[in-house]
Amino acid sequence: MVERPVDPKDYTFSGLKDETVGRLPGKVAGQQFIIQDCENCSIYIFDHSATITIDDCVNCQIFLGPIKGSVFFRDCKDCKCIVACQQFRTRDCRKLEVFLCCATQPIIESSTGMKFGCFQYYYPELALQFKDAGLSIFNNTWSDIHDFTPVSGENNWGLLPEDAVVQDYVPLPSSEELKAVRISTDATRSIIPITRGRRQKSSDESCLVVFFAGDYTTANARKLIDEMTGKGFQLVQTKEVSMKAEEAHRVFQQHAPEFIPLLEEGPVVALEFNGDGAVEGCQSTINDVFSGTKVFVSESKASASQDVENFYNFADMQMGM
Amino acid sequence: MEKPGKDGGHCSGAECHGGPGSICDCEGTLDNPAKGLLSILRKLKSTPDQEVRILLLGLDNAGKTTLLKQLASEDISHITPTQGFNIKSVQSQGFKLNVWDIGGQRKIRPYWRNYFENTDILIYVIDSADRKRFEETGQELAELLDEEKLSGVPVLIFANKQDLLTAAPASEIAEGLNLHTIRDRVWQIQSCSALSGEGVQDGMNWVCKNVSAKKK
Repeated sequence: MVERPVDPKDYTFSGLKDETVGRLPGKVAGQQFIIQDCENCSIYIFDHSATITIDDCVNCQIFLGPIKGSVFFRDCKDCKCIVACQQFRTRDCRKLEVFLCCATQPIIESSTGMKFGCFQYYYPELALQFKDAGLSIFNNTWSDIHDFTPVSGENNWGLLPEDAVVQDYVPLPSSEELKAVRISTDATRSIIPITRGRRQKSSDESCLVVFFAGDYTTANARKLIDEMTGKGFQLVQTKEVSMKAEEAHRVFQQHAPEFIPLLEEGPVVALEFNGDGAVEGCQSTINDVFSGTKVFVSESKASASQDVENFYNFADMQMGM
Repeated sequence: MEKPGKDGGHCSGAECHGGPGSICDCEGTLDNPAKGLLSILRKLKSTPDQEVRILLLGLDNAGKTTLLKQLASEDISHITPTQGFNIKSVQSQGFKLNVWDIGGQRKIRPYWRNYFENTDILIYVIDSADRKRFEETGQELAELLDEEKLSGVPVLIFANKQDLLTAAPASEIAEGLNLHTIRDRVWQIQSCSALSGEGVQDGMNWVCKNVSAKKK
């Protein structure tokens, strides 16, 4: 079978004005994509890619499906974006508003007026695209930005309002071709669980829950998130990371022997909930819904804050470089 | 073969000038060959691998840290943009390579000069698929080659990200960067993908071959 050569032009949007353009699921399939010199455009990449650069774009609305490597915005202004990536970078940008899923700490340089919120999007093909891009839906550090050019007395970046409506920023596509994608921007349907990250916590009571690797880990974690948020608790942070026996002792303490054998099966999924009565809420929900599953839950409000700290200490070190 | 001992006399272990148990600086004799073997073994074991200081530079997003992790055979699926620097020591072909990977954002390039001193090899990494920044990376490389403290240091240019669709071939990059005008040091350009590992070992082979090629 003769392989059709791939034309870079099919993976580039360049010099467009007042247009709605995009790529349907399956049409990028992990290739590099380039976006440059676009104005007043709505751009939708409904697929996973290797890396994307966005140069000299003004007043655009942009959706970028899961990117295996880095996304790099340069010399862009007044753009509203929804992005999922391993690395997020900007240089010389002004007034970008981004609903972000980023596996590592996002960085900005010589940029100002930058606002960030949590990635919030669904379409049927999206979950698999995250897998294809090698991105875990549980690893999203969207709210702690590193600024290479901080200015004394000013902030070059901030967080989007909690009640920001995604479609007010990046509308649903208006073209017939792209309408075929069955999108939902509902918070409860988002492929990426909505986390508070660095947003102010409503309560001083947290709870750590850890699920262990298995066929139903993701489904179980999502189910617990739905149950807990349904009861009014907040999801602060999630993490999917491999744990070693020594680390298990530090995090699970006296319960470690029970969980250590499960570590070999694969990475754990940790969830941090917040709210008055969060520990009781987690324990009762887990008893009702997950009676057969091995799960770690904080024992008390007092131990919970230590559990959370112990977990992040090891997880941050592991995922550091 | 008989060899004179410390005091000029014949050495045979127990009779050695330093007495039993002391370190004898003669190489042993026909009637005490083990002593000779022992001193040779001692010499081999106490010679450490030659340490090589490698500086890894390039624009931000070039793939330097991915390359560093690849050299160290570590997981490359979860890498954070470098805020300061990373160091790793890697054993390769009888050398201990101490590799310094320095952050490449425009704002922090002025700090590169803090790491120039005593560099044995410079590895410069280029994102071959970021054509918009070819001029910028060419400029930074030219400035590095003009630096007094890097004078004569062999330079390996990795034309990285060859796995990407718009990656320019090494030949095109070499031409665009005017590498052929480099006369004051040995240099090499090598295509690679730090992600897949392809081409990386070829580059490092050149590095090991040219460790002592620093021109005065």
